Amino acid sequence: MDYKYIEQLLERYWECQTTREEEAILRTFFRQEDVPASLLPYRQLFIEEDIMAGEHLSKDFQDKMLSMVGEEASLLGGRLEGGCCKARRLTVVRRLRPFYRAAGLVAILLTIGNAAHQSFTEDAQQAIDNGQPSMVNGQWSMVNDSVTTQPEQQSAELTTPTIDTLNALTR
Amino acid sequence: MENISFRTAVLPLGDRLFRLALRITMNRAEAEDVVQDTLLKVWEQRSQWEQINNLEAFALTICRNRALDVIKRAGRNTASLDKVDNGQWSMVNGQSTLEAREQISLVRRLMDGLPEVQRTIMQLRDIEGMTYQEIAQLLDISETQVKVYLHRARTKIRKGLEIRD
Repeated sequence: MDYKYIEQLLERYWECQTTREEEAILRTFFRQEDVPASLLPYRQLFIEEDIMAGEHLSKDFQDKMLSMVGEEASLLGGRLEGGCCKARRLTVVRRLRPFYRAAGLVAILLTIGNAAHQSFTEDAQQAIDNGQPSMVNGQWSMVNDSVTTQPEQQSAELTTPTIDTLNALTR
Repeated sequence: MENISFRTAVLPLGDRLFRLALRITMNRAEAEDVVQDTLLKVWEQRSQWEQINNLEAFALTICRNRALDVIKRAGRNTASLDKVDNGQWSMVNGQSTLEAREQISLVRRLMDGLPEVQRTIMQLRDIEGMTYQEIAQLLDISETQVKVYLHRARTKIRKGLEIRD
């Protein structure tokens, strides 16, 4: 295998002429086990730098700092890796908030239902008072409930004078 | 800047600051103290963050200055525990034992033997992956100077590795 490219890259690395991308190529190359003897002495440098890049603060450092600045530490007692999640302390009010919402919704529905029912009843009563036919309990009724005519009866009353008029005209 | 949180805005800088402080002080406990001071300082100045272009560079500058104060107070101006001379190790203060040194890798010893500015530049470039421009701004020197220091550092490491081999 030809390692000329790597050797050239390494030479440029020592001269500080490599870009960060080229340095990344070198790093990747030296991570592999199979490195030729001529390049082996330099492998340790890149391996050690990888290890140094992984050095981090002690585990309790984060919680210590958060308590120092007055922010809440992790509720689970552990570290929140990478700060991906934010733990929040739930108060009683916050915990009961869904129930408040449900109760409010039920109250609104009951109010609307009650108002609609009341409005409908009032309309029916007003119609009766004005002598207009209205439907009460599924049946049509007339003014004061005193005159309640059946459809057949109404039809008979309406047709009698009409027939008389027609007879008169034909004569 | 609304909803600024120490956890999300400042704490994530910690590990990078720690590595820089560790490279300068070469002591974990001291490095953590330096990071703690730095993070608190950055947090205290949050009302001025809008005037700061790069918060991380700002934090790194504070961190480096504090770490330098620590080694200066301890009388370790160059922070080198041992001196490197053509790959041969000599005792300083007669405290370090040969066995203890052998526990530490050759590369670490070579790096620890560099002058502080060379070590810091190598840390920022090779380990943190910063650009020459970012390093120059951080250390308040020119990019050319950064390359000169880095070249010296890499040359010493190279020689150390080749002699050892």
